[in-house]
Amino acid sequence: MVWAIGGSEAQVGGVHQTVAEMWSEANPDNPIRIEILPEAADEQREQQALDLQAEAGGFDVLGVDVIWTGEYSENEWLESLEDIRGDIEAVTLPGPFETGIWGGELWAAPYNSNAGFLYYRTDLIDTPPTTWEELCQMAEEAGGAEGIAGFVGQGAQYEGFVVNWLEYYWGLGGELYNEDQSEVLFDVDLATQATEFMADAVNGCYAPGFNTAMEEEARNEFQGGNAVFMRNWPYAYSLIQEDTGSPANESFDIAPLPTFTGQGTISALGGFNNAVSAFSNNTEAAKEFVLWAATDPEVQSTLATEASLPPTMASVYDDLADDPVMSLLGEVLSEAKPRPPAPQWNEISVTMQRALYPAYNGEGDPRSAAEEVLAFLEGTVGN
Amino acid sequence: MADTQIAPEPGTRAGAGPGGPRAARRKGLSERALARVFVAPSVLLMALVALFPVIWAIVISLFLYTRRQQTGFGGLENYTDALTSGRFWDSVWFTFVFTVSSVTFEFLIGLGFALLMNQAFRGRGITRAAILVPWVIPTVIAAQMWFFMFNVTPGFINNLLGLGNFNWLGQPGWPIFAVVFADVWKTAPFVALLLLAGLQTIPGDVYESARVDNAGMFQRFWFITMPLLKPAILVALLFRTVDALRVYDLPAVMTQGAFGTESLAILVREFVVRTPNPGFGAALSTLTFILVLGIGMIFVTLLGRDLVIGTEGEE
Repeated sequence: MVWAIGGSEAQVGGVHQTVAEMWSEANPDNPIRIEILPEAADEQREQQALDLQAEAGGFDVLGVDVIWTGEYSENEWLESLEDIRGDIEAVTLPGPFETGIWGGELWAAPYNSNAGFLYYRTDLIDTPPTTWEELCQMAEEAGGAEGIAGFVGQGAQYEGFVVNWLEYYWGLGGELYNEDQSEVLFDVDLATQATEFMADAVNGCYAPGFNTAMEEEARNEFQGGNAVFMRNWPYAYSLIQEDTGSPANESFDIAPLPTFTGQGTISALGGFNNAVSAFSNNTEAAKEFVLWAATDPEVQSTLATEASLPPTMASVYDDLADDPVMSLLGEVLSEAKPRPPAPQWNEISVTMQRALYPAYNGEGDPRSAAEEVLAFLEGTVGN
Repeated sequence: MADTQIAPEPGTRAGAGPGGPRAARRKGLSERALARVFVAPSVLLMALVALFPVIWAIVISLFLYTRRQQTGFGGLENYTDALTSGRFWDSVWFTFVFTVSSVTFEFLIGLGFALLMNQAFRGRGITRAAILVPWVIPTVIAAQMWFFMFNVTPGFINNLLGLGNFNWLGQPGWPIFAVVFADVWKTAPFVALLLLAGLQTIPGDVYESARVDNAGMFQRFWFITMPLLKPAILVALLFRTVDALRVYDLPAVMTQGAFGTESLAILVREFVVRTPNPGFGAALSTLTFILVLGIGMIFVTLLGRDLVIGTEGEE
């Protein structure tokens, strides 16, 4: 069998390779081999689309980003996983499980998850903030006193910006759709508020260059000791911890992302699921593989211990409760929200980027930007 | 091409028939026809490689799609959608501004370099090699490098110029400047190389006789160098303009198309890969093709006429 998955962990020595070897050793008559896809998610999707569009059947198992489920299933590229749904649902965290569902049916088995953390400097901040306003205030005070920037995150015009914006918008109590995505619940007032918060922060607690930063630019700033707070994924934790030359190395910690109400935490959910290609010649074995990868405790804990990839299996978090990253993830993931895995997600995301990015950078009106997003979302339902 | 190959054959056979060997030689393929036969396979191959994708894109652009699924024949609907979309005209405007400004600066700087490198001085070889370094660096890498140079963090340019936290890439207007700057840095050496080649074809005795006639430096440049360099200038401008109209890497890496830096090539890629709509994407790429072809044709016409005049002048 061929498993088409990308990213750094698919390379030789990566954890996906370890998982593939574990399977092949246990199932010598049905071994699996990884077809390494590119690093960038868009390019992975393109490679898979080439195979699937041609119905070539070169890939049996597909590593599918949580936001592609709807698109792939509407294109009839995937085998339904309804017959193994029960086994998966029983052991998987609800948030990650939801990302494999489209149209009420399970299309992709959860594999690894992801969620945003608030990183902060323990030498400058005693207790992490619970609201965004509080965060901004602390960031400006501590940063001003120290002569460093306040808050870094993902503010460049790309998918990561949409994730950051949604965390503000969700933190205000906003929603995009109702549960089965038949109705738009987008709230223009809350969206305007979220964008205005960002617009104010550009001249306030945001670090200079916030609006051109992606994950790595943000990490470099925080790791270099140039920022008090950072919003980033769990991967940054071990990198900062291993970098003994970093000013943040000895004095940083992680906390849940704040909201605007001070209640709970909200994070956007990331990660990858495994789906079975509709054009595979080995559907049964492929299904067994995705079920195994989602429900085998050894596979799931290997993801966490070998690669700091957040597992999707609930029990692993209890077993690894001593690990600070995993214990915080256990807390954050139960509150994390998936971006709608609708077939139109990429169009929605691009529309949000093109409307909201200029609006928070003083090139457009936040309210009309929100109205533009609402109009687009409404065009995606009911036809 | 099938016709070209088959057509001459009957002639050969007919000639070989009644008239015997001598007649065959007389009636056989002329040198010109023979040349056509020999050239035909490569013409066919080029048509297959270059022309087929263009025609196929035009065919696809006539169909409607919902994401990757074809939903029917749409005629020119994709074209009217494109021509009425603000996003298309925004990217046409950026591509146009980028092309005009980058080609202008590349030409002026390239000409300066070329004149410099054409002089005899110590260290000329090293200068020539050094000037070419930017051209050797792959564009994506140059783009990433200039992103780091301009970006607030780490902020090399700001430190150098003492500008504090000036956000080159993150505020309206300046990203275009940064992208053009990076392109000029990258490609001025290429223009310099083309112009240097042109300069070296100008014979030295022309300048000598000009000196004898008491022509000043400016007069020698304006009345000898420029007219004789004209074909090389047109070639350089043609290459650069057509290339600049297709710009993708620099804005894609440096700004992701933010702040009005979405070029036509980025826009096409968006609708082919990111938010797939093959019909609309093909219509956009066909429009881009027509634009680039049109501008290229203008240059080729100018160039052709100039080359003819040039040869007449030499004779």
